[in-house]
Amino acid sequence: MADDARSIFSRAALSLPPSHVSLDLLSSGVCVRCIFRLFGIHGDFYSCPFLTGPGLNYFLKLQNGCQASISENGHGSFGIHKCSYTSEESDFDQKYCSICLGILQFPHDLYLGEGSSKENFSIDVFVEKIVESIKIANHQIDGFFLEVSIPPVIAANERSFWSYMKKKYDSEAWFKNKALYNQISLKDALRLSITESLEKTLSVKSGANSFHICLAYTNSEASLSLKNSLRKVQSSNRRRTEKENVVKVVDQCGNGQLDSREQLCSKSDAAILKELSSLDDHTFCDIFELPPKKASNSCKLMITCYRMPMFIGGRYLKFSRKVSQTLWIIDDERMGEASVEEIVGTPALEICRGDSYKFHAAGREDIDVRMLGSGRPFLVEVSNARCLPSMVDVVQMAVKINNSEKKYVMVRNLKVVGSEAWNLMRVGEAEKQKQYAALVWISRPLTDEDLQSISSVNNMEISQSTPIRVLHRRSPLERKRIIHWMKIEKIVGSSQFFLLHLCTQAGTYIKEFVHGDLGRTFPSIGSLLACRAEILQLDVTDVKMDVFI
Amino acid sequence: MAEGQETLEKSPLSSLEKSVEDEERRALLIPDFSDLPSIPRSAVESNFVRYYAVDFLKPAHDQYIYRHANGLCVIGLAPSHAALNEVGGVQSVDFNVGKSNRSELKVTGKRKRNAQHLQPDSALCYVCADGTYYTVRCCVKGSLLEVNDRLIKNPELLNLAADREGYIAIIMPKPTDWLKVKDSFLSYEDYTKLRHQVSGSSASNVC
Ligand SMILES: [Zn+2]
Repeated sequence: MADDARSIFSRAALSLPPSHVSLDLLSSGVCVRCIFRLFGIHGDFYSCPFLTGPGLNYFLKLQNGCQASISENGHGSFGIHKCSYTSEESDFDQKYCSICLGILQFPHDLYLGEGSSKENFSIDVFVEKIVESIKIANHQIDGFFLEVSIPPVIAANERSFWSYMKKKYDSEAWFKNKALYNQISLKDALRLSITESLEKTLSVKSGANSFHICLAYTNSEASLSLKNSLRKVQSSNRRRTEKENVVKVVDQCGNGQLDSREQLCSKSDAAILKELSSLDDHTFCDIFELPPKKASNSCKLMITCYRMPMFIGGRYLKFSRKVSQTLWIIDDERMGEASVEEIVGTPALEICRGDSYKFHAAGREDIDVRMLGSGRPFLVEVSNARCLPSMVDVVQMAVKINNSEKKYVMVRNLKVVGSEAWNLMRVGEAEKQKQYAALVWISRPLTDEDLQSISSVNNMEISQSTPIRVLHRRSPLERKRIIHWMKIEKIVGSSQFFLLHLCTQAGTYIKEFVHGDLGRTFPSIGSLLACRAEILQLDVTDVKMDVFI
Repeated sequence: MAEGQETLEKSPLSSLEKSVEDEERRALLIPDFSDLPSIPRSAVESNFVRYYAVDFLKPAHDQYIYRHANGLCVIGLAPSHAALNEVGGVQSVDFNVGKSNRSELKVTGKRKRNAQHLQPDSALCYVCADGTYYTVRCCVKGSLLEVNDRLIKNPELLNLAADREGYIAIIMPKPTDWLKVKDSFLSYEDYTKLRHQVSGSSASNVC
């Protein structure tokens, strides 16, 4: 162990500033991993369990000891390490790093609570704890992505650290090369520290996976004091700009005391970081301690995990005029007997064992319109799926829906798809054509000329005002729509009823195109045939779209 | 896995069964004749409840208020309106009613910005028949969503299909305002009894 630590420290020392600086930082309460990352040390050092303050201190002491014995005859660098030695004892009483507030130290009391052994710092225990909480959530995993959130006070600490370094070491030669230090963010250092161990324990790789492990660190005490510091700047700025109203401003601050606490707490971390970065160096050094003051409280850690939304897509057919596309409730009462949303969404939620689902479809049809033919593209978005359904699972889900007793809805081409299918479906929606079959009655017998005039229609433009039936909730607009083609299919034994097959631009209101909506859609079947036309039934027979074919 | 492949082949809508499916679809589309009425209800009859305001402010100023399930009201001239029964019928329609021209304000957006708020006795337009001008009123308190400006160029729509293409305006009353005024109107049945009119939808559709 001692050899391992020594070899790591000696390799790292090549990238570190002179030892008196490291010792200074150690005594200021900066942890070893923070020293490493702020001076841009890369590589596999971070996962090493021996990166403790006393360890590095011991190593540097040895190194300095050699130097000291050399320099004893000559130059007087003795004072520097002397200083470090004397402050050493009291410094290591402080448990948490003054920059990362313990995040890179993996103290046990982060999750074991008070009363646990104070001296325990270990990555292995930390990783074990993560794995435990994942097991509780019962996720089937094929990899993971590590999501880390840290309190904004860390950024203030890092800036305070660099300001301190600049103030103290600006004149020293090594500091001139500061630009070479390509520092590593706390989040990345944390990932470097634990990823390998996590991968080994979970037996899966980390990467851009849809399964996220979230480590959320908070430190309410430090956050509150950061907010108070920032508020001081704000009020002093205000005082500067409104000098004539000094009394008033002070008064406001006094009044604001109570609610500002709440107000500031609700302020998002991003806003705080923005405010922080907008401070000039002078103001910053004015209100923050250099180096950052020692931390007596560690961060609180919340470990959660979730699966990014999963999508099952396909096309649906609807055979009932009493089934709505989405769950439709008016005054606590369900409209229709069922909904495609539920018929398709419920089994999807079941096979994914998710928290909830959302149903998306490319366009919609009215409850009394059947969806036949190739069907309509849809997606079920399942949030936080515990299971990753296989092809077989999905096929079984389709069979179950298609063999249901009521046969309201059937699905086809059901499969697990990526989130890009969502965009594909939305983009395609505007461009697609739709084909319908309408059962039409006209107020006079149908003639052969009617058949001809209707079938001669080729990309006819119609003008359609927002139908009266939806005018209460939609904008009053006049839209141009294209009727691509039409065909009349006679019904044997009737001269006034016929089937009208038509293909139109998406977004055309077909019922209104048939009866004319009091002349608000023009031309209409009624105006084209110069008689009254009524629509009795409507079915979608094809939705032309290139998704989920 | 073997079981999975089996179910894959049994998938109910595989391409092999496409032709069968097409035939089934055709069967679905062709209606059952016994279910069809000889003359179906019109879109107006099935989508609106028909109310009538007879002698509104003046004798024989009979108007209809067709109320859609969504609350919107279509306002127009009832068949017994004096103007429709003059010799030659309605000759012109003018939406310029003094203070404002009802056909000029354009309502926009879901929230119906710019809509004029009208009272029951607010004038919607004047119709001229045989030299006499008749004021057509709003009948219900509410927002004026649109007027039928096709009547300006083609007043004949009133004589041919006053209850369809010849409607005058669309009003959006507040639900409470509607409840207050609703009982002052006649139902379709009471109206036909009173006026001995058969307000069937006109047989032609002229635009
Ligand atoms: Zn640290």
